[in-house]
Amino acid sequence: MRVSRRSFNAGFAGTLGLGALAGSKALAERNDQLNILCWEGYNSDEVLGPFRRANPDATVRAESGTSDPDMINKLRAGEVNVWDLINVNQPWARAQLYPEGLILPLDKDRFLPFFDSMLSEFQGPYPLAFGDDGELIGMPQRYGPFSFVVNTDVVSRAMAEDEGWNLFLDSGMSQRYGVLTYDNWNVMHIALTAGLNPFAAIEGDDAEKFRTTAEAIFGGAKLLTDDLVAMNTALINGEIDAYFTGGTYTASPARYDGVTQVRAITPASGPVDGKGGVVWIELTSKVNNPDPSSLAEDFLEFVQSAEISKAVAFAEGTYNPVSQMGDPGVMELFDADELDAIQWDSLSEELSRCLDYEIVESYDSLIEIYTAAKRG
Amino acid sequence: MERADKRFGFLCSLPILVVLALGFLAPLAVVALYSTMPERVFGLAHFPTFEAFRTLVEQDYYKSLLWSLGMAFVATCALFLLCWPLAYAMAKVFRSFTLAITVLVVMSLFVSENIRLFGWSLTLMKGGLLEGHARAWFGIGFDGLLYNVPVIVFGLVYVYLPFMLFPLAQGIAMIPDDARQAATDLGASRWQVLIEIDLPLAAPGIAVGSLLSFVLAAGALAESKLLGGQAVIVIADEIETAFTYSQNWPLGSALSVVLIAIIGCLVTYGLARVNLDAIIGRNR
Repeated sequence: MRVSRRSFNAGFAGTLGLGALAGSKALAERNDQLNILCWEGYNSDEVLGPFRRANPDATVRAESGTSDPDMINKLRAGEVNVWDLINVNQPWARAQLYPEGLILPLDKDRFLPFFDSMLSEFQGPYPLAFGDDGELIGMPQRYGPFSFVVNTDVVSRAMAEDEGWNLFLDSGMSQRYGVLTYDNWNVMHIALTAGLNPFAAIEGDDAEKFRTTAEAIFGGAKLLTDDLVAMNTALINGEIDAYFTGGTYTASPARYDGVTQVRAITPASGPVDGKGGVVWIELTSKVNNPDPSSLAEDFLEFVQSAEISKAVAFAEGTYNPVSQMGDPGVMELFDADELDAIQWDSLSEELSRCLDYEIVESYDSLIEIYTAAKRG
Repeated sequence: MERADKRFGFLCSLPILVVLALGFLAPLAVVALYSTMPERVFGLAHFPTFEAFRTLVEQDYYKSLLWSLGMAFVATCALFLLCWPLAYAMAKVFRSFTLAITVLVVMSLFVSENIRLFGWSLTLMKGGLLEGHARAWFGIGFDGLLYNVPVIVFGLVYVYLPFMLFPLAQGIAMIPDDARQAATDLGASRWQVLIEIDLPLAAPGIAVGSLLSFVLAAGALAESKLLGGQAVIVIADEIETAFTYSQNWPLGSALSVVLIAIIGCLVTYGLARVNLDAIIGRNR
C-alpha cells in the first residue's frame, strides 16, 4: 500500500478528530452512575431506595467503611476513579482529604441555604465544614458526643459526669472497664484523661504524662475490642461496668433495644476551657473523581430532606442525631423511644461540654506511644 | 523431542505464570518496596531509608510477633494431638462414617469465622450459655471464660481444625496396613508401631497439616479480638493499626515483610522435606 502525503494528512486529522471526540466524552459528567463510600447508614435501602427510584436509569452503589482511615486509604490507593462521594469524620476531611486534593469544594450557592434549617450548633454555618481556604468541603449530617459509656445500674450518671475521665484512673475501677479500640479517639481521650489539650502540641513532660496515662488505662482494662456490639454485650452481662471511648453512637443500639441503663456520658468538666468531652461530626464530600458524576451533588441535596435525614439517623447498626433535627419537619418523624435511644434529653447540654473533634497536632508521636502502651 | 515438550509445557504455563506474577508477586513486591520508604509517605517515589525497620526494632514490635508465633505453635501442637486419633479413625477405622465427619467439618467452614467465634463468645461470657446455666441450675456463678490467652489458643484450635484434620487423614491413609501388621508380627509394641511406622510414614500429611495450621494461626486476628479481648496484641493487629489509624504504610509494610519472611522460610523448609506428589497420590 502506498501512502501519499494527502492520505496521511487525512488519516492523521481523522485520528485527531476521534481523539478529540473521545476526550470530550471523558470530560463530560457521568449521570448514570453514583458510587458512595460511607459509614453505615447511607448504604441502607431506606436511603438509597428512594434515590434509585428517582433516578431509574442510574446505577447507585454504596459501600460501608469500617473506619475513617480505611476509607481514606482506598482513595489514596487510587480509588478516586471509583468513588463519587465520601463520608468521614470532619478532621479527616479537613486535614487529609482536602489538602491532598482527594475531595472537591461544593457549590456554596446550592448548599449553604441548608445550614439555615439545621440545629443552632450548625448554623452560622458550621465552621468545620470549610477548608482553610474558605471553601465548603462537605455537608454535616450525623453527629454525636463521644466520650465514655457506663452501666448506670452500677455507676450513676451523676457520679460518672462528676468524676469524668478520672473514673478510669480510680483503682476501684481496675478490671471493671473495657477499652473500645477506636485508636484515633483513644488518643484524644487519653490526652484529656491526662489533663492535656489533645489539639495542641503534646511534647516533653506532657508526652510522658500521656504515656503514663495510656499505660494506666490499658493496665486497668479487662478487655479491648473494636467491636461495639461485643463491648455493649460485656457491659450488659456485667463483665464490665464502663467502657473507655464511646458515645451515643455506641450506646444507642443497646438503648433502642430497651437496655437504657447503657448510657453515654459526657464529663461535666475537663482540661480545655472547662470541657472534657468531644463531639464527632461527619462530613459528606465530593470525591475528586477525574470522571465526575453529576449525581454526586444531587444525592447530597437529596439526603437533606426530612424523610431521608430521619432514615440516615435511624439506619441499620447505630442510631445518631442529625444536624437537620433543627427542622420541625424532621423532628416530628422521631418517636419517644428513638429520641431516648439517642439521649435527646441531654444532648444539647452534653454538646455544650464538648470540644469539636479537631486535628490532633501530635498525633504521629502520640499514636506510637499509644500502640506501645496497648502492646504492654 | 523432550526439549520440544519442555518448551511446549513452558508456553502452556505462560498465561498462569503471568497471572501469578501480576496477582501474587507484584503485590508482594509493592509491600516490600513500601517497607523501605520513609515513614508516613503514600507513594514509592522517595529515596529508601529503611527507617520503618528501625522503628519496628526500637518499639518492641517483637513482642506481638512472638505472641503470634508462640500461640500459633501451641495451637498447632494442640491440633496435632487432637486431630491424630480422629484422623486415624477416618483413614483406617470408619468407613461410610468418614464421609459424615468430612461433611460436618466442611459445613462449619460455610459459616463466617467471625459469626462462629461470636457464638463462642456468647457461650463463654459471664451470663452466657455456660455460666448462665451453671448459675441457674446449680447456683454456681463464676467469672466469664473470655479475655485471656488460653481462650485465644482455643479459638485458633477451633477455627483451624479442618486444616490439620484433612491433611493428617490423607497422610495416615498413606501408611500401608501391611507394614503395621509386619511390625506387630515381629513383636513391636503399639508405641513402637506409632513411633517407627505411623509417624514417619504419615510425615507428609503431618507436615502439610502443621504448616497450614501454623501459617494461618500466625496471621490470625479475629480470635484475639473476639474471644481474647486483645489480652495480647497479635502481629496482624499491629499491621492493621499501622495501615489504618497510624497512617504509616511503610511501618505496616515492614511488619508484613518480617512476618512473610518468617512464614516463607518455615514453609520453604517444611515443604522441602515433604513429598507432595506422594500425598496427592501421584506416585504411590
